[in-house]
Amino acid sequence: MTIAAAGQHSMARLWWRWPAGIVVLAATVFAGTCIGETAIPLSVVVQTLANKVLGAAYPLDPIDMGIVWNYRLPRALVAASCGAGLALSGLVLQSLLRNALADPYLLGISAGASTGAVTVTIAGIGGGAVSMSLGAFAGALTAFLLVALLARAAGGGVSARGTGQIILAGIAGSQLFNALTSFIITKSANAEQARGIMFWLLGNLSGVRWPDVTLAVPVAAIGLIACVWYARALDAFAFGAESAASLGIPVRTVQTVLIGLTALVTAVMVSIVGSIGFVGLVIPHAARFVVGVRHGRLVPATALTGAAFLIAADVLSRTMIPGQVLPIGVITALVGAPAFALILLRGRRRP
Amino acid sequence: MILQARNLGWRVGRTQIVGGVDLAVHEGETLGLVGPNGSGKSTLLRLLSGILKPTAGEVAVEGQQLGALPRRLAAQKIAYLEQQADTGEAITVRDAVELGRTPWLTPLQPWSHEDDRIVAEVLADADLHGFEKRYWATLSGGEKQRVHLARALAQRPRILLLDEPTNHLDVRHQLSILKLVAALPVTSIVALHDLNQALTCDRVGVMAGGRLVALGAPEEVLDVERIAEVFGVRASIVVDPADGARIFRLDHIR
Repeated sequence: MTIAAAGQHSMARLWWRWPAGIVVLAATVFAGTCIGETAIPLSVVVQTLANKVLGAAYPLDPIDMGIVWNYRLPRALVAASCGAGLALSGLVLQSLLRNALADPYLLGISAGASTGAVTVTIAGIGGGAVSMSLGAFAGALTAFLLVALLARAAGGGVSARGTGQIILAGIAGSQLFNALTSFIITKSANAEQARGIMFWLLGNLSGVRWPDVTLAVPVAAIGLIACVWYARALDAFAFGAESAASLGIPVRTVQTVLIGLTALVTAVMVSIVGSIGFVGLVIPHAARFVVGVRHGRLVPATALTGAAFLIAADVLSRTMIPGQVLPIGVITALVGAPAFALILLRGRRRP
Repeated sequence: MILQARNLGWRVGRTQIVGGVDLAVHEGETLGLVGPNGSGKSTLLRLLSGILKPTAGEVAVEGQQLGALPRRLAAQKIAYLEQQADTGEAITVRDAVELGRTPWLTPLQPWSHEDDRIVAEVLADADLHGFEKRYWATLSGGEKQRVHLARALAQRPRILLLDEPTNHLDVRHQLSILKLVAALPVTSIVALHDLNQALTCDRVGVMAGGRLVALGAPEEVLDVERIAEVFGVRASIVVDPADGARIFRLDHIR
């Protein structure tokens, strides 16, 4: 096979993968809708979807229909958006900062979100007019802006040293906001509230309904489109920001747009479902082991893996212990860590 | 003048790294830059490439202000090969060389047959045939250097800025790469350590203390007095009886 043919071949395969990915995603969402603590026959799920989407009129138990349509489907869709969004955010940060340990919570976003959430629920700021999600979102953005300002003031930017400053500023920001959260909890919360906050911090999809879907899906889609658009720019960062600049990448613009979007996507996801660890850090690495490091393939693969992984984790969190819902963050780490260990061991064979 | 620098300077805080450089590069020539460590060769190349914004003076490419040119257009004209660019990513040689096509591609103008042809050509030019599928981490220093060169060539630039391209290379590849660069129909500015290699350039610039202290034909610029002054070594010129070529023999000044 000639070199030219090889290149052409991989491009052709790439385009073929998009519809395949969408089919897999739809199948995963469907599986997430079918499986749950209450056993609902497959035919009922399909008929419910037909009733709601295609306007069919199958006679069904309204409770079953409610569980499928108002509870499970939005949950699966938000889990998919959230998994894809967090995984892409992690991928972007790992590529731009050239740091394998970068994840979306590195920018202080998760810490800021929890501070925002406890400020609203426990300290009672906003007088009940502000929801916990809104508080978390405001906290996340505040923390990110502080971290970004600090990184900039410390000389963060194009140089190799600059990317280090963002990471250090993120660590400082995270520590500060985590301490604030603990401070507020120990000062004001009763045992019941502390438990509730604990549960939220570990991630929780129980409260998800359709309005959350209309927020999460577009945000994840915007993140995906931006990453696909900038796939070549992300490739060009392989040898560092200076090398990217010499390849014609407007480094500052790309960094600002992508890191800003990462912050936005993460803040929205955290405000809906709490902070779910592990996805943003590990899914990009897992995807890299499978499809390689070129972002043209890596971006869709990461989004798809993240979406499927979080739907599966959510299903497990609902069904693992009958009658009890586990925090999804516990599942992602409990299942994800050994799975990732396997991938690491397998990847050792590759040079 | 394809590339022109006027009163070019760069400082960090109070430390002047490069200052007062006036340089006009002719189309098609190969300009060697020599100078001791820390004389500002690399910084000058980065300023000329546009990656580093000068704190004084300006650079013009084909009559256009480099600072005002979008990065993408600048990278279509100028390729810059930096020293010691490394990566932890598991990328293959072909992936790395394909990156050179980045300035010519947009999401709406994707990879084409033409790009495949150019990549195949530069892989052959850099003597990397058979290396396409090798992972970056498995390459030797010299092989990495040749991949970087291939990547710079894949940009199909008008101007090639090379920062010590012969570093890490074995003798055969040193010669073949310099010959390749000289034969290419592009303008190149090459930072070199080997004074004998500098003798083969069309013109040579000598950097010392951040300034361009001499510029001209190699045999005029690289005389024994200047080498003693700039590098602190004693040079004697040996003539090869086979073809009359001049060679430096260098020694410590005691």
